[in-house]
Amino acid sequence: MPERLSFHIKRDSALHHLNPLTKLLLVLTLILTAFLAPFYWTPHILAVLFIPLLSMLGKVGREYFSTAIRLILPAATFLFAMQAFFQPVGEEIIFEFYFLDITRESFLFAFSNAMRIVVMVSAFTIFLLTTHPSELMSDLTRRGLPGQFAYVIISTLQILPQMQAKAQTIISAQRSRGLETEGGFFKRAGALVPLIGPLVFGSLVEVEERAIAIEARGFTSKHVKTSLHEIPDTSTDKLLRWFLTALILASIGLRIWLS
Amino acid sequence: MNIEIKDLRFTYPTGLEALKGISLSVNAGEQVAIVGQNGAGKTTLVRHFNGLLRPSAGSVWIGDWDTSKYSVAKLASRVGYVFQNPDEQLFSRDVLTEVAFGPKNLGYEKDKVDALVKRALSLTELNDQTETNPYDLSPTWRKMVALASIIAMDTPIVIFDEPTTGQDAVNVARIANVIAELKKEGKTVITITHDIDFCAENFERVIALSKGEVLLDGPAREVLGQEEILAQTYVDPPQLTRLGKMLGLKATVINQEEFLNALK
Repeated sequence: MPERLSFHIKRDSALHHLNPLTKLLLVLTLILTAFLAPFYWTPHILAVLFIPLLSMLGKVGREYFSTAIRLILPAATFLFAMQAFFQPVGEEIIFEFYFLDITRESFLFAFSNAMRIVVMVSAFTIFLLTTHPSELMSDLTRRGLPGQFAYVIISTLQILPQMQAKAQTIISAQRSRGLETEGGFFKRAGALVPLIGPLVFGSLVEVEERAIAIEARGFTSKHVKTSLHEIPDTSTDKLLRWFLTALILASIGLRIWLS
Repeated sequence: MNIEIKDLRFTYPTGLEALKGISLSVNAGEQVAIVGQNGAGKTTLVRHFNGLLRPSAGSVWIGDWDTSKYSVAKLASRVGYVFQNPDEQLFSRDVLTEVAFGPKNLGYEKDKVDALVKRALSLTELNDQTETNPYDLSPTWRKMVALASIIAMDTPIVIFDEPTTGQDAVNVARIANVIAELKKEGKTVITITHDIDFCAENFERVIALSKGEVLLDGPAREVLGQEEILAQTYVDPPQLTRLGKMLGLKATVINQEEFLNALK
């Protein structure tokens, strides 16, 4: 079975056809709007309405919701609990648990912040699901981003799925040697020991091998590089980017004007 | 211990149908090589033997155990699996601990673990390296540590996934010797390989897979002599077989001994 080298899911959708820079600007707009818009319900509307619609537009709804349930919601819930219990604001107590309490203000503050995090992580998740890392890099380097920066970004985007695949193989190898990976907390924690060594060692070797491999193909050559892979940048993309830039400016303007 | 596979089908979550109804049996003590093009389903098939993959349909029996009802850790007492890349399993500080990891997991007594480890180290010529960190060994010797760590589990069935890939001629001979010793002990050895000469020299039965189905299955000489059919799964007969045909030898020869006898 081929290993997954990125989070990208190949589908034929409007979002997949957008230029990577347009999608990156869309992510930035969503994050800035969620954090800067002066209206309390903005991040909530974005998280509950806009983000799910966006994932469906990109035909990656199933993958997005799966990530949201397994990763984004637990993280947001943890953040919400921490801030709700420990944010020292307000006096109207709405919940008490021994020495811990939640005030109406800390609840609203924590809820809003958790929603902002949901918007931020969700927007990036949909971006990663609909954008192939090589397309993003080809487009950004074509626009003048130095190759070294591109390499750092692409490595960061790819390291998680690669390590996931590698960890899966290592765990399979250790289970084949009788290692019990199912059961209580201590059993599961103990099963991590034979995983860490090969995973870290293997990843370090891979990083070095990849660096040598790309250098052998003239990575740091000073000549102007051409690409066989053309990334389309349509007039719709350009129009959308102007619109998104206007939205960002409007969010900032509204924030300053209303505060 | 026999292996019985009945109408085995497997589809990956991506939708790729890797096995399309495979039925075969492997008798206890047989030496079987599985060959075929990349993506033919070789690794997918053998990963069902120790429960790493569960059938989408059909069944795999290891002796009287239906693999779908046992955990991988449990099946590890019957099926040893040597992964292709030793670096994906070695983690201990020294070779001795690494080799003892498997038999300890199987719950054997200390005396038995010691005896099994000693035998595995002797078979793989690692007696002098017991205190060495596996990562300080060359890739060739790391492969032998991986082999030893599975042999020490003393399973009736041992699977090798491409054991000769990246190995020099001396180590290929060492691996062949390990397989011969396992055969003497009556173990079933199943090997996935692209090394057809290695396959011809060391295995009595060959199964050729193509696109998730069994293309050929039979004695090595019968299977490896079928050049046209093997070509469908991008496998060339052994060099000696082809040379024998070019020389007009009547019988199909697959190894050096047979070739020399045919020339006499």
